[in-house]
Formats: sequence, structure tokens, C-alpha cells
Amino acid sequence: MTTTRKRPAPDKPAPKRAPRRKAAPEDEAALRAAAEGQPRIPDPLELDAAARGRRPEYYGFDIVPPPDRPPQTEREREVYTLGDGEMLVNMGPQHPSTHGVMRLVLKVRGEVVIDLDPVLGYLHRGIEKLCENATYTTVLTYVDPMDYMSAMHNEHAPALAFEKLYGIKAPRRAEYIRALVVELNRVFSHGLMMGFLALDLGGLTPILYSFINRDQVVDMLSAISGQRMLFNFFRVGGVNFDVNDEFLSRLGTWRAEVLDTIEMNEKLLTENEIFAARTKGMGTLTARQAIDLGVSGPNLRASGVAFDVRKAHPYPPYEELEFEVITQQGGDTYARYIQRIAELKQSIHLIDQIVDRMPHGPVQAQVPGIIRPKPGRAYAAVESPRGLYSVYAISDGGPNPYRFRMRDPSFISLQVMPKLMPGHLIADTMAIMASLDPIMGGVDK
Amino acid sequence: MDALKTLRDDPAFAFWFLADAAAVDYGVGNWFEVVYHLYSDRHPAWLRVRVKVDRSNPVTPSITSLWEGAMFHEREMYDMMGIVFEGNRDLRRIYMSPDYRSFPQRKDFLLPDDAADSPAAGNRPLERPETWDLTRLEDAAAHRDEPGGPV
Repeated sequence: MTTTRKRPAPDKPAPKRAPRRKAAPEDEAALRAAAEGQPRIPDPLELDAAARGRRPEYYGFDIVPPPDRPPQTEREREVYTLGDGEMLVNMGPQHPSTHGVMRLVLKVRGEVVIDLDPVLGYLHRGIEKLCENATYTTVLTYVDPMDYMSAMHNEHAPALAFEKLYGIKAPRRAEYIRALVVELNRVFSHGLMMGFLALDLGGLTPILYSFINRDQVVDMLSAISGQRMLFNFFRVGGVNFDVNDEFLSRLGTWRAEVLDTIEMNEKLLTENEIFAARTKGMGTLTARQAIDLGVSGPNLRASGVAFDVRKAHPYPPYEELEFEVITQQGGDTYARYIQRIAELKQSIHLIDQIVDRMPHGPVQAQVPGIIRPKPGRAYAAVESPRGLYSVYAISDGGPNPYRFRMRDPSFISLQVMPKLMPGHLIADTMAIMASLDPIMGGVDK
Repeated sequence: MDALKTLRDDPAFAFWFLADAAAVDYGVGNWFEVVYHLYSDRHPAWLRVRVKVDRSNPVTPSITSLWEGAMFHEREMYDMMGIVFEGNRDLRRIYMSPDYRSFPQRKDFLLPDDAADSPAAGNRPLERPETWDLTRLEDAAAHRDEPGGPV
């Protein structure tokens, strides 16, 4: 960006054509005449002058004017009213480190963030409305692309809610297979979070290691479900397929090397001095704040609150499995990172147990293609890699849900950003945001 | 709201976690419902609190003073259902643009495509085309020729 602004150094031989700016008017006319008939190449300096209102030190960001309408709310007035030496900087929606299409309007003084307003909705697809116009079976295909890093969890909660509505239970083997794929999904989601956090801090290697792990898991899940990312694997009353040989063989290969892959990442990051300096004490979230703001999942547990839906209100088969609710005390970016690693290892431990104890039997209950549950309400919550993911479904006796509501954990977690960012540098906002691990597909529904 | 405050602060209940807040539309001529899901360790269970809201005057008190995290829930309910939460200091649209005028998750908002015509979709008498809010489309047509207007 700055190279275009450089003028030729004085000791270098002058270029054949003098810079347009310097030329006298008659020379200018002569040059134009000489260049007649040829397409005119714009001078970079002219282009630069054309980009009025931009200051080169903020290249990559746009400086936004306050909206040209009166503020609608008290909070909007607070954010968009500028004090002395303050300005609004736009980050996103097309920004590499906003994890999708999130837009943040930062109020900055110098390089320090004072306030922040998340502007959402760039990925809003109206999935809830779509699901209200789909049959119960096809709802499970619509929820996949919501939180695309945990598609299995997205299907899990609706499947549980619809089973409650319809009054059936999945066979035990199906419950175990569900838990297996869900934990596999959690492993690659947490693994990628580690990589993205490092990437936002400027380290490229961990994301490559994370993708090794992620590709292995995704190939495995593709072997069992037939699709790589949007699995469409859960059914009301079971799962689509039983485990097959390819899945099990891939699982064995992956299990043999996964701890090494994670350890490679850990060696790069956990003890890394730069990483520690940029994460320890950054974006500290106290337990009280976290509860108040509705944060759930690893972000809540990193603040010291032992709340895990798998333990607090277990859905099958988690009451039969042994695991602990891990917590950290720090509540900062580093604690959230450590929490992810601990949960990742715990998921691998859970996968071992599930594979050992998997019962025999059918994987699907006898359910018609179009189900019409009796009128009623059902609520089902699961622990997704980002926290409490819940579905509230109302049936009116018809073939499609009358109301289908999804509570996405990353949407709610985003509320902490205006609390965490003030006082930090713009560069650190990305690290804090990456440690919260929001997925915009889920945020915008 | 007092009931929710008691449920949260009374040690006998101790529903400390607001898990979900959702709005339900029971159709034209009926009412809206705001549904809160709370969680407590004391008796490991979810509690569902349903609040009836008048459909012609959809105003209900905000619970952001109890749980600040209800902010995005309430903004979403306002955006999608048009329920106004009194005492919420940031009741803006959250998904749709600020100049949008309809409330898309109301049951009288008919989808303009034929998604509802699939054989299994069921026929809802509540989805009536005469209730569509087409002002936005008309506005767009009026401003089409202006520079910077919608294309």
C-alpha cells in the first residue's frame, strides 16, 4: 500500500517520463499529444488523491461516517456519537479475521478501541422460517449449514426435540452412534479454533496441523454419512446409517495419530512466549459477567462456571459415560484456548468409551416419512462446541413445525464483545474474537 | 418480570441461567407469546415461562435488567416478530436492515416464493397475501432511477 506512494529517490536516474504531477502545463499537453491514441494509464498518485477521506495508516479498514439518520436507541447514540479524537472504523463484513461475514463498527481513539457495535445479518437466511415450512424430516437438512463447524450438533437438538414431540425414542445403538459423530465433530471444531486463534495472531502453521486433523475427521464422517460437511445424518428416531468398515478403519488410523497432531499444535502455541503475551490477560470475562450475558459452553467454563449440558441435563447416552466438567479460572483468551484443548482431549476419551461400549441392535426406529406429532411443545438442548444449542419446537398437529426456534450459542456469545474489547488494541480484538469462536452461519441463522 | 426475578434470586428456585427467549405467533386475532427457558442446578431441569402479549399492542417489559444477555434475544424478537420490550435500551433491528418494515416471522407474513406449496407443507389459512407488506418493494421501484438507489 505504501509502495505506490513512494516517489523516485533523488539519486536514482530520472525516469524517461517525468511524473505527471511535476510536469509544466505545456509539457503535460505535449505528453498527452504523444500518448494520443494509446490508452491512458492512470497515475497511482492521482488514484490516491481520488480516494479522498482515506488515511493511509488505516488501509484495509474503511472509516465510516455516522449513519445519516437520527439514532434509534440510546445505545446507538452512545456508540455513534464521537468525542474528541475519536473516530469510527469499520471492520468487515469482508474481513479475513472476522470468521465469516461479521461487521464490527469500532470506535477508536488512536489505535485503542473504546467501544464497538456488532452489525449482524449479512448471512441471514431465515432458517427458522424455512423450517416452519418444511416437514419434520426435511428440517434436519435445513439446520446443517447454520453452524457449519458443528453440523452434527445442529441436527442433534432438533432430532431430540422432534422425538419428544412425536413420543418415540431412538434405539440405543443409534444414541451411541450419535454421540460418536457428535464428539468427532467437537474434536475438529475445537482443533480448528486453536488454529484460527493462532492465525489471527499471525501464526500460519497451527492451522495447517489443525486441517490435517480436520480432514481426517471429515473423511471419516463422510464415510459414515455420505457427505463431507453438511452431513444430513440424523433422522427423527435414529441415524441414517450404521457404522461401516471404512469408517471404523479411518477411526482407528485417526485415533492412533490424533494426539500427536494436537501435541504438535500445543508445542507451537501453549509455551510460546509471543502467544502467551498476546493472550494472557486479554479479554478477561468474569464468571458473573459471563452468566449475566448468557455465555455458555467452553467460554463460560473458561471463566470458572461448571455448566455443561451433557452433565447438567444429560441426554442419552451421556449419563452412561464417564467424564468431568473441566473449568479454568482465568477467563481470558488464554484460558479459553486451554479450555478448548482440555475438552478436545476429553472428547477423545469419550470417543474411546463410546466405541468400547457400543451396543448392538438397529439404528433407526420405525418412523413414517412424514410425521404428524400431536399438538404440543418440546425443548431440547445439546452441548455444541460453542455452548448451549437448543431447539424449541411447537407442533399444531400438522406435518411441519408450527414454530421452530433455535438458540445459537455463538449469537449470544457475541454480546460480550462490547464488554471485552474496550481498552485493547485493534489487533487484539481479533484474538479475543477468535477465542470466543463465533461462527457466523450460526449467528445469522 | 417480577416472577422471573423471584425465580432467579430466591435460593429455593435459583434459576440462574437464561437459556433461551423466543417469541411465538399464534396467528391473527390471537396473541403473541414470549417464552423464556431457565435452568437451575437446584432441581436439574428447565423451566419454561410463557408470557402472553397482546397482538394489537405488542408491548412487554424487558428483562435486560435481570439478564443482560437477553439483549440479543429481545432484539431478535423485535426484528422478527415486532414485539416491543419496554426498558430495553438498544431495541434495534438485528438481522434485517434498519429501513426494513415488516416482521418476517409473523404468521401473516407469507413467503413470496412457492416454498409453502410443497405437497407436505400444509395449507395455513393464516398466511394471507393481502397482509403482505409490499411498501418496501414499492419504495425500491420509486427510487430505482436515482443514483445510488437499489438496482
